[in-house]
Amino acid sequence: MAQAGILAEALIGHSGRPQGRPHHLGKVMSETRLAVNAVSVEFTGLRALDHVSLSLATGEVVGLIGPNGSGKTTLINAITGQVKLASGTITAGSTTLSGLSPREVALAGVSRSFQIVRLFNTMTVFENVEAAALAKGASRTIAAQRTQNLLDELGLAAKADELGENLSYGDKRRVEIARALAAEPLFLLLDEPAAGMNDAETEALLHTLAELPGKRGLGLLIIDHDMGLIMRLCHRLHVLASGRTIAEGDAAHVRSHPAVIEAYLGKGAAHA
Amino acid sequence: MKHSYVTALILIGVIAAIAIGSQLLGIRLYDRISTNLLISLVLVVGLQTFMGNSGLLSFAHIGFMGLGAYTSAVLTIPSQMKGMALPDLYGFMKVVEISPLLALFAAGALAAVVAAVISYPLMRLSDAASVITSFALLVVLYTVMNNWSAFTNGPRTLFGLPKTTDMPVAAIVASIVVVVALVFKESRTGKLLRASREDEVAAAALGADIPQLRWRAFILAAFIAGIGGALWGHFITSFAPKAFYLKETFLIITMLVIGGANTVTGAVAGTILITFAYEALRGTEGALNATSFGAGQVVGLTEIVLALAMIAVMIVRPGGLFPNREIGHILTRTRRKKEIVA
Ligand SMILES: Nc1ncnc2c1ncn2[C@@H]1O[C@H](COP(=O)(O)OP(=O)(O)OP(=O)(O)O)[C@@H](O)[C@H]1O
Ligand SMILES: [Mg+2]
Repeated sequence: MAQAGILAEALIGHSGRPQGRPHHLGKVMSETRLAVNAVSVEFTGLRALDHVSLSLATGEVVGLIGPNGSGKTTLINAITGQVKLASGTITAGSTTLSGLSPREVALAGVSRSFQIVRLFNTMTVFENVEAAALAKGASRTIAAQRTQNLLDELGLAAKADELGENLSYGDKRRVEIARALAAEPLFLLLDEPAAGMNDAETEALLHTLAELPGKRGLGLLIIDHDMGLIMRLCHRLHVLASGRTIAEGDAAHVRSHPAVIEAYLGKGAAHA
Repeated sequence: MKHSYVTALILIGVIAAIAIGSQLLGIRLYDRISTNLLISLVLVVGLQTFMGNSGLLSFAHIGFMGLGAYTSAVLTIPSQMKGMALPDLYGFMKVVEISPLLALFAAGALAAVVAAVISYPLMRLSDAASVITSFALLVVLYTVMNNWSAFTNGPRTLFGLPKTTDMPVAAIVASIVVVVALVFKESRTGKLLRASREDEVAAAALGADIPQLRWRAFILAAFIAGIGGALWGHFITSFAPKAFYLKETFLIITMLVIGGANTVTGAVAGTILITFAYEALRGTEGALNATSFGAGQVVGLTEIVLALAMIAVMIVRPGGLFPNREIGHILTRTRRKKEIVA
């Protein structure tokens, strides 16, 4: 029953979304695609990703889900250059990302947040966000303006002068998102942004995130264990289990997929 | 941003108070101690620009101070004295004699160029590897100073520098260096470098070129160290390479760490505190030795107490006295909070 409810919600949410081309800073952006092609990643004695392919277009929200240890974070690390690929390629538009350092991937327009928050602890919230704009080469005036706008947008303006380490868990997550956005990325990869947030915070986050693709013309890849959030936010889902893709497609398709039910609920659940 | 101006004003005010205070007292000893303090301030604030912003411990700073001191010496010792002071000096250098102000910049520039050339590959290292290589760099610079007789007169004392550093000069240079350090901290490079200090992975994921950022800070720190060395050379007027080694290195690191390496305010506070503690302890040590309980001399009391103080600070307040906010920031924040409450 609960399942049907979420599904219905997801469908309503989906149809209610504007379908036109995303606008960004007043100019029409042509669609760019982040493409992960048959990527494998190996850690000593463990194949964390096994020929995984995924595609994310600007203006689109894709949910990356799967049980613990299925390789979701590893996939983000692979895209952003934090782990080496054993095989496969990754491209963003005409740029090849595979083989680049994290720094080069960032400069190519891919930003991320971390599952375990990584703020600049003894810097202020303002400086945390500003650093991202500066790193991308924004002038100091522009960086300051952009930071102020993002802090307003994410409800962090009152905390601008607090140190990163003194924030609540939910605020830390929001600062990480603001920081990633300050780079004005083409693709934003969020690793469990709602983890540790209460219901009200999650709800607010959902609204912020849902607006991003349309307002900023970016492609959003989001990992989360909160299925309610994922179902309402994402246009498409990609499901990993033990480093392999077991299903992909819209929420309804994924929800009813036997392999997904089995991966989440254990063997036999699909037939129950 | 605005709080940086407040910080600069306060710190320059403190420097001025030290300078004017000791002038008013008119005691030669205090004058010497205060001038020394201001020169230490130049060195410690210089060290802060690299160590504070990058979070990497650097032992090499005093080596660059030595380079600066010798550079300025070679350029300013009167040519008629050079035959005696620097018998092995290269012929063409024997006639060179420039103004101490120009020599001050030349000293900074040479230290900066040397730092730029040798440190580039080192800036990829972090943690223990970076500490060890910076220590090795200090040893290399020390060895060079001891052996490059043509330039340094070898391990022997070099004398004959004109005494051009007095209290006002030291105070002016210290004030400028404080402003430079604050500006650097708030610059693009400074901000991104601090981000990398807090989290290398996250900073790289934003696109920060960490080795490049560290390199710039290292060059700036060496430039300031070179100037500090020249300033000191023209105060003491004669010195040997052993003035630029371990004891001095540990002293400036103690000052910076106790004050708080992350802030310029901390660098200033630590320098003042440790200078006074150091002089007081030396006085006590002297008094103890004079009364002599028959048990022989008291040696190393000063160093032991300073080491214990450093350990205590590390345990009680790991970030030092001013761990992350400059004095101006602390004051403007408290005022704003009071306004909100009122
Ligand atoms: N650096 C690493 N070295 C060795 N093994 C690793 C490393 N990173 C991840 N792994 C392993 O790879 C597998 C996939 O991990 P990953 O963190 O990608 O999972 P995840 O899907 O993000 O899980 P979770 O939902 O718990 O965050 C796990 O078995 C993990 O232990
Ligand atoms: Mg994960």
